[in-house]
Amino acid sequence: MNPSSLKSRFATRFLRALTQIHARKPICSSSPTEIFRRYRRIKAAADKSMAYSVRSRKTWTGAVLWKLRSRSCGRRSAKTSTFIKSQQAIMKRTRHEKQNKNTTTTTTTGEHGVGFGVEASELRELVPGGEAMDYCNLLDETAHYIKCLTTQVKVMKKIADFYSL
Amino acid sequence: MLHRLESLESCNYNGMDVAVLERQAARLKWQQQNYVVQNNNLVELCASSMPQFQGLIGSNIGSGQMVQLKRPEVFLGSGDFQEFVNFPVAGAEFGDSEKLDLVPPEAAADYCISRTSSCQMTALNTSVMKEEREDMVLEKMESTTGSGRESFNKRKPEAVADHKGKNKRIKGEGESEVKTKCSTEISRNSSKENSKASEVQKLDYIHVRARRGQATDSHSLAERARREKISMKMKCLQDLVPGCNKITGKAGMLDEIINYVQSLQRQVEFLSMKIAALNSSVQFNVENLPMKEFPAYVANFPAAAKLPAMAGLPYFQLNPLQKESVNCMLNESILPAQTATEGIASASVSISEQSLSSSSMTQLQPFSTWNMDPQGSSSNLTVIFHSSSIVRVEYIRIWHLIRYTPDTDTS
Repeated sequence: MNPSSLKSRFATRFLRALTQIHARKPICSSSPTEIFRRYRRIKAAADKSMAYSVRSRKTWTGAVLWKLRSRSCGRRSAKTSTFIKSQQAIMKRTRHEKQNKNTTTTTTTGEHGVGFGVEASELRELVPGGEAMDYCNLLDETAHYIKCLTTQVKVMKKIADFYSL
Repeated sequence: MLHRLESLESCNYNGMDVAVLERQAARLKWQQQNYVVQNNNLVELCASSMPQFQGLIGSNIGSGQMVQLKRPEVFLGSGDFQEFVNFPVAGAEFGDSEKLDLVPPEAAADYCISRTSSCQMTALNTSVMKEEREDMVLEKMESTTGSGRESFNKRKPEAVADHKGKNKRIKGEGESEVKTKCSTEISRNSSKENSKASEVQKLDYIHVRARRGQATDSHSLAERARREKISMKMKCLQDLVPGCNKITGKAGMLDEIINYVQSLQRQVEFLSMKIAALNSSVQFNVENLPMKEFPAYVANFPAAAKLPAMAGLPYFQLNPLQKESVNCMLNESILPAQTATEGIASASVSISEQSLSSSSMTQLQPFSTWNMDPQGSSSNLTVIFHSSSIVRVEYIRIWHLIRYTPDTDTS
């Protein structure tokens, strides 16, 4: 295995984050609330380490990190600012698409508009940072995101199996 | 006749010649011998007004019969477009050679119209011209002409656009529909068979190969390029998402992709929940373990990594049932991941309520419920980490596991 591969980078970062989490709050009680909080932290750590582990800059990594940071800063401001940001992104994208529509023939764009409308919007919701992208880039981001998610799942599975022995 | 067709097609041309060539070819193919003779007569009538064609025509002379083509623009310019409409009437009756005489200048328009209507042999179906018919005609033509395909590519988008423009300019009567359809048809015909062409004829301009049955606007070209890019990316996604080989069509593929991304996200949530629960009693004391040292550690403690770790592992005792279910869940694919999510959701709810939650899985899953009892598991824990060395060994083992599994590396 390549020591500088995505998998190894993510694994090291995630393990380090896990140690930090455990070091910060030693296990006092394993109440459900505690576990839930811990779960949230672990999930955030996983997403963050994944986002940092990618070599090439992708839109979704920036979006993930931005969300995490804004969430840690302040919930309320984060919500409004994310909302505003997403709205702006959507406006930008629709404007861009309208321009494209004007220049291209109606038949082709009509097909695209109708055919990919519903699923594309769903995909945009799933992929972080997907609101602001046109369809081509959205597919690229989705491919990269799927790749990273599978890596993440594999590594976390190993860790979980390891601890459940 | 075939020879002539091929010779027509193989020559260089200027602008709209090929449109005429193609139409001529189509026409000729469907005509009988005497018909062709009459055609020649017709063309000769027009030939005088088109000096450009002289050279072309001279080179076109095939097996002895003079086939002279006429630029459709000439006909258009002459304002005789009305006769274009009338021509289909004549064109329909292929066996009737007399009718051709009636419409000398409409040979060109006839070709474009006959291209679509020749199959059906109905005159005034030009208004219903569609691409499928064109393709049918073309296919028939190709089947008969055979090798003449290659030279059908001599199409310039500009020339076509010019032709279109001129067509549109001249429309004044009710034939506008016919005209535009004819022009679009011509443009389509002009850019067809490129996908099958093996030779590229030298032209004055560089033009993009348009696919069969598609127009050659710059906009539609850009649109087509965009669509090709999208289809390429969809293919890449198809490779990434398992089980998508059978699914064809973008909508189904998109659904699959969406489901897969959702399942992966749920799996991450589930795993993080599991780690949170399982690690609740583990006390890590690994500090300053640089990333680069991991391989070194692995190298130094290959044996040590395994044995002490086995002895020193914290022993989390889940219910065997839980363990089984958890493992089963982890090993399955998309659908089970959804049920795992339900398990997580209900588990989190129960955790918040501090009650033993037996999250009921959907009937899809054969295994039983996943009982998450954190308090029970904590009581069963035997925490064994005492020294940093053991912890380091722990990490080495984890690293080892991760590193040397036979998974495909996703770097």
